[in-house]
Amino acid sequence: MLRLHAIVHLLLVIVILAGCSQSEPAAKSAATAGEKPKSDAPAASKTFTIGMSQCNLGEPWRVQMNADIKAAAAQHPNLEVIFKDAQNDTLRQRSHIEEFVSAGVNLIIVSPKEAEPLTEPIANAFRGGIPVIVLDRAVRGDAFTCFIGANNVQIGRAAGKWIAEHIGNDAKIVELKGLMTSIPGQDRHNGFVEGLGGKGKVVFEADMKWLEPEARKEMDSALARFDDIDVVYAHNDPGAHGAYLAVQAAGREKKPLFVGIDALPQEGVAYVSQGILNATFQYPTGGQEAIDTALKILAGEKVPKTITLKSRIFTKENVAAGGAVIEN
Amino acid sequence: MSDFVFPAVAPLVEMTGITKRFGSNVVLQDVSFNVRAGETHILAGENGAGKSTLIKILGGIHTDFEGTIRLQGREIQPRSPLHSNELGIAIIHQELSLIGPMSSADNMFLGRNKATAGWVHNRLQEQEAAKWLTQLGLDIDPRQPVEQFSIAVRQCIEIAKALSQQARVLIMDEPTSALQEPEVERLFQLVEQLKQQGCGIVYITHKMEEISRIADRITVLRDGKLLGTEAASELPASKLIRWMVGRELGEQFPRRDKQIGTPRLEIANFSVFPQGRSAAPTVRNASFTIGAGEIVGVGGLQGSGASDLFLGLFGAYGNRVSGNVKIDGSTVTIHSPRRVIEAGLALLTSDRKATGLVLRRSIVENIVLPSLSKLARKGWRRPAAEQRVAATMAEKLCLRAASLEMPVAELSGGNQQKVAIAKWLETKPRVLLLDEPTRGIDIGAKREIYELMHQLTRQGIALLLITSEMSELLALSDRVIVMHRGRIMADMPGNVATPDSVLAAAMGGHEADNSLFAGNDIQSTNAPDNESCATNEPVGGE
Amino acid sequence: MTASNDLQRNTKKHFRLSPAARAFLALALVLLLGFVFNAHGAFFKLGTHRDALRQSSVYGILACGMTLVIISGGIDLAVGSVVALVAVCSALMAIHWNWSPWIVVPLSLLIGATCGAVSGGITALLRVQPFIATLAMMVFARGLAKHVSGGTKISTAIEQADKTYRYAELPKWFRAIDSRVLWGQVSVVTVVCAACLLVAFIALARHVWGRQLYAIGANEEAARLSGVPVIPAKIAAYVASGVFAAIAGICQAAQETQGDPEAGAGYELVAIAMVVIGGTSLMGGRGGVCLTLLGVLIIGYLEKILSINAVPEATRLMLTGIIIVVAVVAQRQRSS
Repeated sequence: MLRLHAIVHLLLVIVILAGCSQSEPAAKSAATAGEKPKSDAPAASKTFTIGMSQCNLGEPWRVQMNADIKAAAAQHPNLEVIFKDAQNDTLRQRSHIEEFVSAGVNLIIVSPKEAEPLTEPIANAFRGGIPVIVLDRAVRGDAFTCFIGANNVQIGRAAGKWIAEHIGNDAKIVELKGLMTSIPGQDRHNGFVEGLGGKGKVVFEADMKWLEPEARKEMDSALARFDDIDVVYAHNDPGAHGAYLAVQAAGREKKPLFVGIDALPQEGVAYVSQGILNATFQYPTGGQEAIDTALKILAGEKVPKTITLKSRIFTKENVAAGGAVIEN
Repeated sequence: MSDFVFPAVAPLVEMTGITKRFGSNVVLQDVSFNVRAGETHILAGENGAGKSTLIKILGGIHTDFEGTIRLQGREIQPRSPLHSNELGIAIIHQELSLIGPMSSADNMFLGRNKATAGWVHNRLQEQEAAKWLTQLGLDIDPRQPVEQFSIAVRQCIEIAKALSQQARVLIMDEPTSALQEPEVERLFQLVEQLKQQGCGIVYITHKMEEISRIADRITVLRDGKLLGTEAASELPASKLIRWMVGRELGEQFPRRDKQIGTPRLEIANFSVFPQGRSAAPTVRNASFTIGAGEIVGVGGLQGSGASDLFLGLFGAYGNRVSGNVKIDGSTVTIHSPRRVIEAGLALLTSDRKATGLVLRRSIVENIVLPSLSKLARKGWRRPAAEQRVAATMAEKLCLRAASLEMPVAELSGGNQQKVAIAKWLETKPRVLLLDEPTRGIDIGAKREIYELMHQLTRQGIALLLITSEMSELLALSDRVIVMHRGRIMADMPGNVATPDSVLAAAMGGHEADNSLFAGNDIQSTNAPDNESCATNEPVGGE
Repeated sequence: MTASNDLQRNTKKHFRLSPAARAFLALALVLLLGFVFNAHGAFFKLGTHRDALRQSSVYGILACGMTLVIISGGIDLAVGSVVALVAVCSALMAIHWNWSPWIVVPLSLLIGATCGAVSGGITALLRVQPFIATLAMMVFARGLAKHVSGGTKISTAIEQADKTYRYAELPKWFRAIDSRVLWGQVSVVTVVCAACLLVAFIALARHVWGRQLYAIGANEEAARLSGVPVIPAKIAAYVASGVFAAIAGICQAAQETQGDPEAGAGYELVAIAMVVIGGTSLMGGRGGVCLTLLGVLIIGYLEKILSINAVPEATRLMLTGIIIVVAVVAQRQRSS
């Protein structure tokens, strides 16, 4: 018992230490970077510092978002972007935003982990005169400059419509959901059901926690229960890929249609090119749009409060051409 | 012990017709036992005689038994250890039950904190604790963690804890097993003090010297049955042993014919630096030689360095030693126990539970542990060979166990010690270091170990022996080496050594303060208020 | 004390059998659960059992090493991260660089062994608690995996300098690991897992080293004073755990057809749960590979049964938690 206590304590200490040591260098770089715009601000040749707070870099999609921002910013030598990774910790993200404010950056881009706890810090920054672009996930109220995000319901609906066009009326569908406790999971599900419009039948649905090995396991179970499956709709591309591997391992003659979401270059788009997935629907990161919008704001132009990103569909036919924009 | 009896007063505690069964086994049968105020009542008997069970019934640990218990005439039923404490019965356990990192005040009030709405009054507890500690002549800070004190002091804290709970009956289960001589003496003075305050003391011990020193009355149990209760003066040691063992043991120490051969172990300028070479050594420039078939006893007080000498020789301190060690004429480089074992040395450690045995594993595994590689073929074990070896050893040492596959933890102390010895005999040692080989085991088993030692000497094994029992040291050793603060102060033949000469050397000179050792030294008389000493009772010696 | 103990010894034979017997009982209960909730007969299909075994295999391989470490009185939290590191490295070597398996496999095992040797060395030589040492290695190896992979999955889609992708062929031997043998009824990874269990079993039961691990776990000081080479034996246990984790990593990469730097997160906890549910004591010195096998089957089948019944995630988590507590409480009653 005593030993267990000691272990728990030690664990706490370690976690805290780990947290400190990781955030420290970031804070330092922000501080040094923050001095620059202050001294340069009155000067005519404008150099802008943008603070980018990412909620976590564990997901390839968010890595891609940062990469997109970096690539877009690289086109503009007068922009300097400071990246911070909150490692899925709301409180850490909150202190990152506060650090940006005290460092005096010219603009903040936030991809928030959660709406409620981050609304207030974002509003404080906004009211303090720093423009804030909220990316991907919205916050409450309107105390920010601009929200840029894709619409998961629209994407789900597009996937549902595409599937409905390619199947018969009594087709058997397996839906591998991300996490039904998450908003994207719920939206991708609801849009999908709407898009199907009553065609086909979802015979098996399970949470695969956005993880490929989990998706493969769940697909194994679906295969054990149903002899023929016509469509697999997964809430992300790795999920669809995992399901594909399960079907391949089961040695089924008839391959179902595999449909995924996200369409990252090295994942979904690559899978479509390799003929693994039949279709994938892009969930755009908005990195490019964020930098474009930031430049407009910094130049004093007016920007819309909400920008909804357009999704793209990638299929075997159009993948080489870079997919096709989905018009709603 | 003179009859210090209150015939008119009813006993403090009276247990009548106690019978206790575990399943179909009767472990106590119609045992009656009583304790009077102001007496030390020795509860004697071999391991497994039922002493512990009797104590556990009184302490509220075993609650289903037949018979009655009266406390000052009123019938009681101890339901739990806590309940028993509330009734005024306290057990000072062999393994102390204090919590190391907590202060003595916190330990004393554990479970009955002086508190208001959950907030502990630390100051009040400390004052109270200090009061009880001072009463026992203990001048320590009640805020200091108990783990920083010696075992002797911890024992006193435990007694203080019992007293602070208004205990009238104190049960001490082998309280001196981990104590050194001066501390034993202090404990005895404490016992005397408690007696005068009207406490009744139940004292369990295997040491004859202690029995003759402090007993007022003695109750002997054997195989769960009561053999009798006698005033100490009516029960000479020889009769007591006969009662306990149920047969004539002959002399306590068997005789042997000395045949000392060529030098087995030669040590020159040997020093041990347990804390590293920059710190002071605990053994300084020790030099001596043991011949084949010789028993050399190493005497000394706590901190004399005797145990460190053994550990150092054995490689337990790695290469933090210096000097020259030869076994059978060839030099041994001391680096790790593994190398030293290969060279023919074996060490029976003083604490068989902590460092001697792997209690959770079976008898076979323990016996073959040091010789695993030797018994294996290219690293692959041969279970059949291991079984055979263990069975042979068990038979040779008369090990009493239901199965060789049972965990060592389930054996009695004496049998555990036999396993610990067996594992070293299997390595075919040329020199065997024995650190307290008879600690905590009963008289019958002690006798078996003495005989075994003699048998080993006949095979030409050299034995080095540490023991805290003076009679054992003098009776068993062909030569006695006495250490004081890491130095060898005396090296004398066994028949020349006397308790006085050993103690004098152990104190670091020739003007030893004998009173410190009165508890041990059965020959020396002592302060006048101490009417102990069944002085003329021959307890040991050849 | 002694009297009561001696009595309990008489019924010793029963207690001896009991750890395995109880684990069997737990497994039987889980299987009974499968019989009752058979998901329209899916539980009776051979494929379901094949998949259950395949899905437990990576965990089972990790549990082999974990058993060795836990018996020696330690714990290895780094295995999940080592899976990721080896998955990334082996995918890089096999898919991107198209190296021969005869080079990739030994190198991968060497990576695992090195991780184990470092965490073992830190515990045994520097006397850092195993929990801390392997926690550090867990964080470090995860970081290294992300560094080596550049934060993305190492898959057959290879990004080229001009931002376009070329598609590599999946190596044949990766496909072979994810295929089936014995008339198509047993997955190769299951065979690998069985082989690992067998090796661990033989090492623990028959090799001198195994016996030394038990002694060290039960009483390190007594073992040292009995001439047991404590430090090498302990380091060897962590090295073995690292090697098993590397094998698991290769299997993981082959099954995913890619090296994912996020792979294996939390696998160490599943492996520990399997070892402990089997009946191996976390305090060290007690247990064995056969018990671990039972633990692997219990958790593996439990997951499978919940999955084929499409039980919602929330319910799954609650049920798994309850079952772990029940199994461990049952274990404690037995060992006391």
